[in-house]
Amino acid sequence: MPDATPTPSAPAQSAPAASAPAIVAEQLTRRFGEFVAVRDVSFKVARGEIFGYLGANGAGKSTTIRMLCGLLAPTAGRATVAGADVARDPERVKRAIGYMSQRFSLYLDLRVRENLEFFGGAYGLGGAALARRIDALLERVELAAQGDVRTGDLPGGLRQRVALIAAMLHEPAILFLDEPTAGVAPAARRTFWRLIRELAAGGTTVFVTTHYMDEAEYCHRIGMMTAGRLVALDTPAALKREHLAGSMFLVEGPQVAAALPELRRHPGVLGAQPFGAAAHLRVDPARLDGARLQRLLADGAHGALRARSVEPSLEDVFLALVEER
Amino acid sequence: MRNELHAVVVKELRQTFRDRRMLMLLIVAPVLQLTLLGYAVNMDVEQVETVVTDEDGSPASRALLRGMLADPTLHLRGASGDPAAALTEGQASVALVVPRGFAARLAHGRPVQVQVLVDGTDPVRAQAAVDATTRFLQRSGQALREAQLRAAAGAPVTEPALTAPPVSVARISAEPRLLYNPRLRSATYMVPGVAATVLLVITSVITAMSIARERELGTIEQLMVTPIRPTTLLLGKILPFAAIGLVVAGVVLAVGVNLFEVPVRGSPLLLLVGTALYLLNTLGTGVFISTMARTQQQAILGSFFFIMPAILLSGFMSPVANMPGWAQLLTAFNPVRHFVEVLRACLLKGAGFVELAQPLTALALLGTAMLTLASLRFRKRVS
Repeated sequence: MPDATPTPSAPAQSAPAASAPAIVAEQLTRRFGEFVAVRDVSFKVARGEIFGYLGANGAGKSTTIRMLCGLLAPTAGRATVAGADVARDPERVKRAIGYMSQRFSLYLDLRVRENLEFFGGAYGLGGAALARRIDALLERVELAAQGDVRTGDLPGGLRQRVALIAAMLHEPAILFLDEPTAGVAPAARRTFWRLIRELAAGGTTVFVTTHYMDEAEYCHRIGMMTAGRLVALDTPAALKREHLAGSMFLVEGPQVAAALPELRRHPGVLGAQPFGAAAHLRVDPARLDGARLQRLLADGAHGALRARSVEPSLEDVFLALVEER
Repeated sequence: MRNELHAVVVKELRQTFRDRRMLMLLIVAPVLQLTLLGYAVNMDVEQVETVVTDEDGSPASRALLRGMLADPTLHLRGASGDPAAALTEGQASVALVVPRGFAARLAHGRPVQVQVLVDGTDPVRAQAAVDATTRFLQRSGQALREAQLRAAAGAPVTEPALTAPPVSVARISAEPRLLYNPRLRSATYMVPGVAATVLLVITSVITAMSIARERELGTIEQLMVTPIRPTTLLLGKILPFAAIGLVVAGVVLAVGVNLFEVPVRGSPLLLLVGTALYLLNTLGTGVFISTMARTQQQAILGSFFFIMPAILLSGFMSPVANMPGWAQLLTAFNPVRHFVEVLRACLLKGAGFVELAQPLTALALLGTAMLTLASLRFRKRVS
């Protein structure tokens, strides 16, 4: 379990003040015509923190990240990144940040090293210093042997690591990762997150969007977005405490989905949500203890259901939040 | 700035030279196009198929037909009872019809007409056939008049008068001497035009595609979060293609000189300056098109919207002077027209900077305007 209260540590470069937050958003809003993609979003991200931004597709995650990177001007509100205003001084923001998008924007026809040389050059780096930096980063992500491979020939997981170091060549204080693990195999995702945690431990601030709830557990703090609003913001543990009262059970059985509406109406049941082929059932232990729950499930009209106690996940939090609204 | 520009140039060159199809498009295609066009687009009419209908069947009519067919342009396919049908069926493009009573009228010194039917579907060929027949009839008409003059002076009319040698009578004749392209070879005229169009196609399409590709694949977004300036990015994209364009221009010219004996009478420096100014226009067009395209396919289609009218209004195929007034006005804004003019004058006539000041200035002005407009649009699109 990651540290819930991140300790700010100032990276060497371009820190305005050691105590200042890396990212500040104040009532950040973005409209596209009538559609409000992001509405009144406010938060602060401390230095060295891994800040997870969760939400369904279209909830406003990417729009937020694009505003913070200076790619998109906010319609209202303001944001500062590394002490620079994103609307007024996007150039300073660009120098301080690294950005990796879900599309891994690398040139697939170039070799790995050629891609890195290009992006290093785009940040004004060059010569022997850049070559050393590329070597060190390739070494660090265990790709030293793949430097001369055509980027398009790499499997997705490795390509994603190349994209990450392409965003880190200029030693940015803040990394923005927009769905960095979309479509990547689970094992590769774990390796990737180990890297992210190492980076954060070294003082880099990481702002990451994802819709994989399991990944969100790696974050120090999490913001949850639905329909353009930031509806919750806390550490994973606190979010679960706050939004998931009661105890959580995993309910399995052949007709579990059909049984859910009936279960929800039963006194003592706080919530019931499908979870894969099974369901997560949240009950108030004072009104419905384990033995009575087992009886309820065994006697139901939808065949025999089995329940066992489980740890709540962030997905439960997210679903509870969506239900609450 | 230096590292940024270097990075973009190196990246573009790597991408271009790694792509075999792109290399084909860049080097092989222009040479192939030039060779094909140089050989195939031949405006010189060599031979026109001809049928004859001799309704008179006299020695005089036979002599007339022999004389007309002596012209190398007209090639005898045979006699035909129905000349109009021969033309319709495509057996021949010209039919010579000598009417009944030809010899009798001629003997009485009366005017006589020979019918020449010409298939006008191909204007160039038709014109050549008309020229060939009238050439002979003019000469024989003159011989007849001279013979009549002699008869009036008491000398006997010799048979056949048509082929009698002319007597010395006062007359004015033209002695044309063709300069610059004495054999009126089409290739000599065409190669500069082909070179201009090949350069236009290559540089504008490649530039447009290279920028549209970044947009299509999403790499442009990654570039936009880097501090690289749009101007640097644009310059880095244009410079390699400008260099490639100059190399291609050299190759095309070398092929023209070696294969089609196109002379190089003007200064190579003038050619270089003219080409560089022309490239400002074509690269600017490429960038401009790319600002309106989201995909490479759109970029290609968009390029052809520009390229087709630019070629048609360039004087490459048909002279600008033959165009209607409004079209001539349009050609003033067409860089291809000015470049074709510079190339032809410099290569064939040996014209210098002074003689070509006007088209060169036009190229410089148009190129600067195009590139400025394109880069403004590009900067707006990127940021």
